[in-house]
Amino acid sequence: MADKPVYEEASIDGQPPKLASIPASDTTVWADASPLLQAACAGLRDGELIHGDNFNLFAAMSALEIMDPKMDSGIVCTYYSIDEAIENGAAPIPISLDSTIDVRCTIDIMDHLLACEAAWHKGHSLAQTVFSCIYLLRLDRTAPHALLHSYCRIIRATCKAVVSVVSDARTHEEEDLFTMTYGLPLNGDGDDKCLSILNAVEETISRQLRACKATSSKRRLPEDLEPLQSNSNLEEGFCKALLCRLRFRKHFFHVLSCMKRPQGRGLESARKHIASCLTELESILESADFLRSCFDESCEGDIDDKTTASGFEPIGFDAMLNSRLSAPTPPRAIKILSWKKAVEYFVKLLHDLDVICSYSLDPHLESLLRFVVQFQKSQPDLVARSHLQLLLVQDGKLYGRDPFFAVINKAAALPEATKNHDIQKNESFLQLGMLVMNLLKILCTNAAWQRRKLGKFLQDWRVIYVQLELAFRNEYGEVSSSSNDENTCMKIFQHILLWVEEQTYWIAFRFLILGFELELYSTGEYCMVYWYLYAVLIKLTEKTHLMMAVSHDTAKRKGKKKKDSSKDLARESRIPPAVLFLQCYICLAEGLTMMLAALRNEIPVFHSPSPFNTEHEKFVQHFELLQRACIPDHVSYPSYKESTTHARFSTLAMYNYFKDAQRIAKEVKSSFSNDPERAFSTLFSRLGGRWGRNVPFGWIHFSSYLK
Amino acid sequence: MEAKPEEKAEFEEAEIEYVSYGGEHHLPLIMNLVDQELSEPYSIFTYRYFVYLWPQLSFLAFHKGKCVGTVVCKMGEHRNTFRGYIAMLVVIKPYRGRGIATELVTRSIRMMMESGCEEVTLEAEVTNKGALALYGRLGFIRAKRLFHYYLNGVDAFRLKLLFPPPRQVL
Repeated sequence: MADKPVYEEASIDGQPPKLASIPASDTTVWADASPLLQAACAGLRDGELIHGDNFNLFAAMSALEIMDPKMDSGIVCTYYSIDEAIENGAAPIPISLDSTIDVRCTIDIMDHLLACEAAWHKGHSLAQTVFSCIYLLRLDRTAPHALLHSYCRIIRATCKAVVSVVSDARTHEEEDLFTMTYGLPLNGDGDDKCLSILNAVEETISRQLRACKATSSKRRLPEDLEPLQSNSNLEEGFCKALLCRLRFRKHFFHVLSCMKRPQGRGLESARKHIASCLTELESILESADFLRSCFDESCEGDIDDKTTASGFEPIGFDAMLNSRLSAPTPPRAIKILSWKKAVEYFVKLLHDLDVICSYSLDPHLESLLRFVVQFQKSQPDLVARSHLQLLLVQDGKLYGRDPFFAVINKAAALPEATKNHDIQKNESFLQLGMLVMNLLKILCTNAAWQRRKLGKFLQDWRVIYVQLELAFRNEYGEVSSSSNDENTCMKIFQHILLWVEEQTYWIAFRFLILGFELELYSTGEYCMVYWYLYAVLIKLTEKTHLMMAVSHDTAKRKGKKKKDSSKDLARESRIPPAVLFLQCYICLAEGLTMMLAALRNEIPVFHSPSPFNTEHEKFVQHFELLQRACIPDHVSYPSYKESTTHARFSTLAMYNYFKDAQRIAKEVKSSFSNDPERAFSTLFSRLGGRWGRNVPFGWIHFSSYLK
Repeated sequence: MEAKPEEKAEFEEAEIEYVSYGGEHHLPLIMNLVDQELSEPYSIFTYRYFVYLWPQLSFLAFHKGKCVGTVVCKMGEHRNTFRGYIAMLVVIKPYRGRGIATELVTRSIRMMMESGCEEVTLEAEVTNKGALALYGRLGFIRAKRLFHYYLNGVDAFRLKLLFPPPRQVL
């Protein structure tokens, strides 16, 4: 048994230490090391360092200065251990003997936990946020306090569920602090019953609420029902404040459970619970006025910064208790989100989850890609993105339902019948399936991470193309095929090769556009970026057009034989809207390139050379991954220079880049006669077209420089 | 009462003396500057690591005997490239905006170039407009964005400067 804490009297500078010392045990004994340290201090002069075989300067950088509050997390501790904190009354049960204060403090704990949870989701460790709650760290001792106990249980179960989703998604490479749960009591016996425990408490408070309303209307009181707390004026307010908080947790837990169900079976139910969550969050916000006004004492400080609705500091939290369980480096103090910001975070999270739950699980890859790109524009956080990824890729299938070869088959405009063809067992086709799966996972990651992955991914897509092409040529080098099956195989190869090229250029386009979103390009680099975009767009348009022609062929063959009407011919010769749209983009990209090049060539202030390198080096750096994968071929710095060196405002006036873009855009819009706005915006979103719309005005603005 | 505007030091750029790291006597000056201005906690060993192994890459700026700025760097082999790294750059507030930081960094980069580095890299907060402009003018590009790189949740850019290939002497 450990001894009671003993206070050490002596220390180096004669002042008693603020902390209680660590008790000695059966196998340890305390020895005073001060003489040894003093001798060591005297043994080295300033600037001298001991060289060891296993200790060099690089290793020395990990050293900590003892008692430096920035580095030595122990120095700012109040308690050495959770037990010591509890023994010293840091987490009392009940919180107060006054039931009114007890209830208010419980609500404060609930609010602070919400703020901690939001801080965790935003990127801090679980140990320093949610599990800074001493009640949560020793959940069993809260058993006499039904309200606190049930709330802590559901928090624990919720955290466990969220950790599991994010771990499974494995999209959290940079955000790996999120899933660190080492040493934390996340697994609780009986947590599967947390909902029924919560429901029981909710039921009691509902009855207490009904009772206090009944009293006011002088109806008969139900027997044996004690009020929630002793101040009858505050009973209704407190009951309501508690109910919305409990209900929010219940519905949120249901959202997570429903969304976990395979193949999106629980999405509709999840949406209902999301709606309930949002309603309860509104009630939670409204309860703030009551909670702030129910006590005479007002709290100091800006109410907006507080982590509780009432403004009071919560009881029972100590972020330093887990400092040894956190990351290997000493944890720095983090700022928990304010309560208001925490509620805002959950509102956003729920809206993002709702978008996911509303998705129709479209088997068409192109629609899915559009959806994911559009979803990412709202900058969803890790928890939402992980949920999306798990919906899209389960058990190695799309939505856990469609094998990836079937998905590719459809995307490559092959007939339905070929989706079961044996050719999918071919190594290259298996790898292609993996690439599509990885593409979906990558598209669910945060934009910064995503762009880096997409850049490296280009190489993989190039390689698979080369592999498939080689396999195709080896098998069907001499076109003397006679068998049906050989014809089918040839067709599969041809379609898929074309589709792979289109996909590759799409990825290249996304890679370049993400650079704008991430602010990776300085304005002096825009010219070369738009030029490269233009080069990629030309190829993308070419492949998309070919793909559509080939898909039209397939559709024709599927349809009944009918006489070619003039209408059919007209439709065939019309350029598909998706291609027109890309052509619009080409005009914009070319126009912007030339405009910026002309500015650079004619106005000296726009051309500022740097002392250490030239535009050539910047070109090489920005486009290295694209160049390495030869996307596109025959594109290089010299060809960029050639295209732009002679750009002048006088010659530019002859071209109508932006007028052409406008004209084509109008044509696209009209071709979607039934739903022009939707079609327009979805096509824009596919290519990330935020910058396209304002360009004509930009041209007018820039041309004023000429005067 | 109006708030006092930030005190700006009065000086001619020519009065600033730039000195290469000269030894132990410079170490406390560097440490004080960095401790004062940057939020990352460094132990003395961190400083020693840089200035002992690469003293020629660290520079100090003095004005009338007072240390007003410093840059601390390293270089080495990294994935088959010989690369320089700018670890710390500080100029005290009253002396900012006059090109001292640019001069310190330029001297260091020049030394790296002469020592055979192929590129130079560093991280900077995406919100640090001053640093981004400074390095941008010197030829750095924003090679990557690092999500939530800093503890306060701010992203960082990895900045990289690629030197042109050395001219072939025919």
